[in-house]
Amino acid sequence: MRLELGKINITDIQFAEESKIDNGVLYVNAEELKPLVLEDEKIKDVYFDIARPGESVRITPVKDVIEPRVKVEGKGGVFPGWIAKVDTVGSGKTYALKGMAVVTAGKIVGFQEGIIDMTGLGAEYTPFSKTLNLVMVCEPIEGVKQHDYEPAVRKAGFRVAARIGELARELVPDETVVYETQTFKEGIDKYPDLPRVGYVCMLQSQGLLHDTYVYGVDVKQIIPTIISPTEVMDGAIVSGNCVSACDKNPTYVHQNNPVVEDLFAQHGKTLNFVSMIITNENVYLADKQRSSDMTAKICRMLDLDGVIITQEGFGNPDTDLIMNCKKIEAEGIKTVIVTDEYAGRDGKSQSLADADVAANAVVTGGNANQLVILPKLDKVIGTLDYVNVIAGASDHTLREDGSLEVELQVITGATNETGFGRLSAR
Amino acid sequence: MVKEIERAGFPVAHICTVTPISMTVGANRIIPAIAIPHPLGNPALDKDEEKALRRKIVMNALNALQTDIDGQKVFEG
Repeated sequence: MRLELGKINITDIQFAEESKIDNGVLYVNAEELKPLVLEDEKIKDVYFDIARPGESVRITPVKDVIEPRVKVEGKGGVFPGWIAKVDTVGSGKTYALKGMAVVTAGKIVGFQEGIIDMTGLGAEYTPFSKTLNLVMVCEPIEGVKQHDYEPAVRKAGFRVAARIGELARELVPDETVVYETQTFKEGIDKYPDLPRVGYVCMLQSQGLLHDTYVYGVDVKQIIPTIISPTEVMDGAIVSGNCVSACDKNPTYVHQNNPVVEDLFAQHGKTLNFVSMIITNENVYLADKQRSSDMTAKICRMLDLDGVIITQEGFGNPDTDLIMNCKKIEAEGIKTVIVTDEYAGRDGKSQSLADADVAANAVVTGGNANQLVILPKLDKVIGTLDYVNVIAGASDHTLREDGSLEVELQVITGATNETGFGRLSAR
Repeated sequence: MVKEIERAGFPVAHICTVTPISMTVGANRIIPAIAIPHPLGNPALDKDEEKALRRKIVMNALNALQTDIDGQKVFEG
């Protein structure tokens, strides 16, 4: 599959009468976007705000982060199964608005939503302090159930991101990158001497607001399958996750997966990037066994020499991670796992809930339990009402001087397990 | 917890969903549970069925406590 990704660099976002992109500036008429959000009767109200890198702004509780994109050539449209029909995406031409994101925020859905600080210590931990953020703060109707409110906000985010992406349809990209994978036979013929490498992307699917969707399908219900990484760039995988903010993959991370990016950079040079394989992290042991068996089988059937495995979330998914690693290694295929750690505030506890000698090559995204003090910032987009109850916070989080004592866990993307965050260790 | 109680001289049956983690941490008598959000029951069942399921798990655990073992064992039940 071949996808041309045209990058349109956004240098500022401003509210204006007319929504358009002009000379790198995104102008947004918020009144035009509002009805798009309020289409869903579960959402009572919404307001938009803009957070720029370096500003003294804290966004919380953050649900999803989304990069606006538009499909300009080829089959299907962005976010298949949600915005577009379910045609297979991933080929042709797509434009992406770089340097910005749509952030969904507001009254809490679950208890594991995050914080994005645009300046100070918190900004050093979240990758989304570097993007211009168009924040939509949603207010639910009275008495709405959490499992009804979560999809309402999720889908509203996609509608807004797709509408903004649409503004780029007629523009000329600042830069174009071509991503191309070969079919298996073509790949072997073209790169007979290069090691065949695959990427196993584990998707959060524990249920109870810990979910991910592929082409609109709840990932709990899939068995592992292969997918072209270019499909994912078109929004084939989206987040419906209210899992701990530090190591969940917001939709933005799926669209811009750094493992995919780096494998493409080496494709045809040091390795042959054969395929991406998606699998789930379910709460039944039988599901864990079946999915890890299937994943290892697919790796074998693809004749892979090496596999990178990334995890999402922590706790029992550590077992899915180790099962995948162990079973793929047992097929004679080398693995590297990418994860993060819950090693206690002093870093002295066991980092993962499960372990095995086969997991002898590990990349860490950092210790989610690490305690940090985030300074008081001038402005809050959203609300601080829940800052003491989100995962990684405590009764002592909001201090008298307005600063926050929190674990890294609360910071969106801080210990991301695809390497999207900024932490690692040697 | 499992290991500390055993260290004090009491046999322990560890009821858990993710038995591989129980193996990794070193439990000896391991009883498979239903699912992580509902280890000791199943909300999809009606009351009588669920009671029977719960009893089965507990009986399996009690049986495990009385069983001599010579290493880690998962009691499939």
